[in-house]
Amino acid sequence: MSAFELIVPATAEEAVAALRAAAGDGVAALAGGTDLLLDLEDGRVTARRVVSLRRLPWRTLDWNGPTLTIGSTLPLRRLELDPEVRAGFPGLYDAVRAVGGPALRHRATVGGNLGRSAPASDLVPVLLTLDAEVELIGAHGSRGVALDRFLVGSRRTTLAAGELIRAVRLPERRPSAYLWQRVRPSNDISQIAVATAYSPTRRTWHVAIGGVAPRPVLVPEAAGALGGGRPTDDAVRRAREAVRRHAPVTADKRGSEEYRRHLAGVLLDRAVATTLARFA
Amino acid sequence: MSASSVRLTVNGAPSPLAEVPHDERLLDSLRWRLGLKGTKEGCRTGNCGACTVLVDGASTLSCLTLTHEVEGAAVTTVEGVADDPVGARVRAAFADAGALQCGYCTPGFLVALTGLLREEGRAAPVEELLEELASNLCRCTGYSAIARAVKDARERLP
Repeated sequence: MSAFELIVPATAEEAVAALRAAAGDGVAALAGGTDLLLDLEDGRVTARRVVSLRRLPWRTLDWNGPTLTIGSTLPLRRLELDPEVRAGFPGLYDAVRAVGGPALRHRATVGGNLGRSAPASDLVPVLLTLDAEVELIGAHGSRGVALDRFLVGSRRTTLAAGELIRAVRLPERRPSAYLWQRVRPSNDISQIAVATAYSPTRRTWHVAIGGVAPRPVLVPEAAGALGGGRPTDDAVRRAREAVRRHAPVTADKRGSEEYRRHLAGVLLDRAVATTLARFA
Repeated sequence: MSASSVRLTVNGAPSPLAEVPHDERLLDSLRWRLGLKGTKEGCRTGNCGACTVLVDGASTLSCLTLTHEVEGAAVTTVEGVADDPVGARVRAAFADAGALQCGYCTPGFLVALTGLLREEGRAAPVEELLEELASNLCRCTGYSAIARAVKDARERLP
C-alpha cells in the first residue's frame, strides 16, 4: 500500500489544477525528491497526493543578454557542467558543488531547493547576492517575486496553495564566491556559509550568510562597508566586523554562537578575496 | 489504487514491472523485484552512495528515487556496469588495486566512478574525481587503495 498517490501531469495548467484539487487533504510537489522523499518518510511532511513535475518542460537554461533564466526542474548537475554558467556566476558554481555529490545533483533541482527553504541551503545565500527573482505560476497566471521576499523562514515561503516555482532569474553576470564550513565536509550541512558578489553595473557589493536561523539572509551592513569597486584592507576589516556583529547566528549541535561568528568573519575575508580574483 | 506498472530497461534488458506502489524506491525495485542485489542499501538517506546506479547514464541515488519517476529510463546497476568499456576499466582498476575491504561500498564506487568518467572523461583532474567521490562512504576507511584505483581507472581510459 503506497503512502501517497503519485500524479504526473503533462502541463503546468494540469499541475496547478492537481495541486489545487488536493489542497485540502495534504499535497506536495515533487521535483528531484532528494529532500521531499526524506521528509515524507519521516512524517515531517504529510501528503496523500504527490504531484510530480517530471513531465513539465522546465529543465531549461535560457540566456537573454546578461540575464539567465534557470528552469525550476533543471537538475543541479546540468548547471554545474555548463561552462557559461560557471564563467558568469562562479559563486553559483561553488554553491552547486557544495550540494551533496554528483549522484544527488543529477536529481536535485534549483526549484526544489528554494521551495523547501532549508536554513542551511547552499544555493540561497549565493542567489540572494545575485538578486535572484523567482517566477511563480498559479491558477491566475505568473508573478515574479524577489527571492529575499519569497523566503519566509525554515521550510516556509510565500508560495500560495496551488502555486509552483516555474523558474529563477538572475539579472546579470557577477563575479562571486561561496564558502562554507562543516563538521564533516562530505555529508553534513554547513555550520556557516558566506556568499559575496559584486555588481559591475551598479558598482555594489552583496553579502549573504547561510547556516543561520531561520533562513539565509543578506547582510547589507557588510556589503555597505565594502563600498564600490576594489575594497581597501580597512574596508574589508570593517565588513568582517559588520558580518560578525549583524549575522543572525545562533548556537546548535553543530557549533557555538561565538565559533560561528568567528567563522563568518574568516569566510567573509576569503570570499571577498576569491571574488576579487574573479574580476574580469 | 496507487500502484501501477513501470517500464524500465535494466542492464540492457526490457524489464517491465507490474503493480509498483507509487512510493516504491528504485533501490527496492532493483533488489526485490529484479533480484539485483549488487545495489546496496547503506543509509537510505542519500548520505552514503552505496545505492548508486546509472539512470540514462547519470549516476543516481536509487534510495532517493521513486521507481515511477524513472519510467522509460535505461538503468545500469553494478551487475551491468562492466558491459560498458569505461565500466570494464573501472572494475579492472579496482580489482588490480585491491580497492575493497568488506566490499559493501564497492558497487556504489564502481557505478559512481563509471558515471563520472563517462560524463567528464579525462578532462576531470584526479583531485576533482576524488572530491566528487567524497559522497561515497567507505566505512572500512579503505580510501588509499580506492584513490589509487580512481587514478588508475582514469589513466586506462581509451
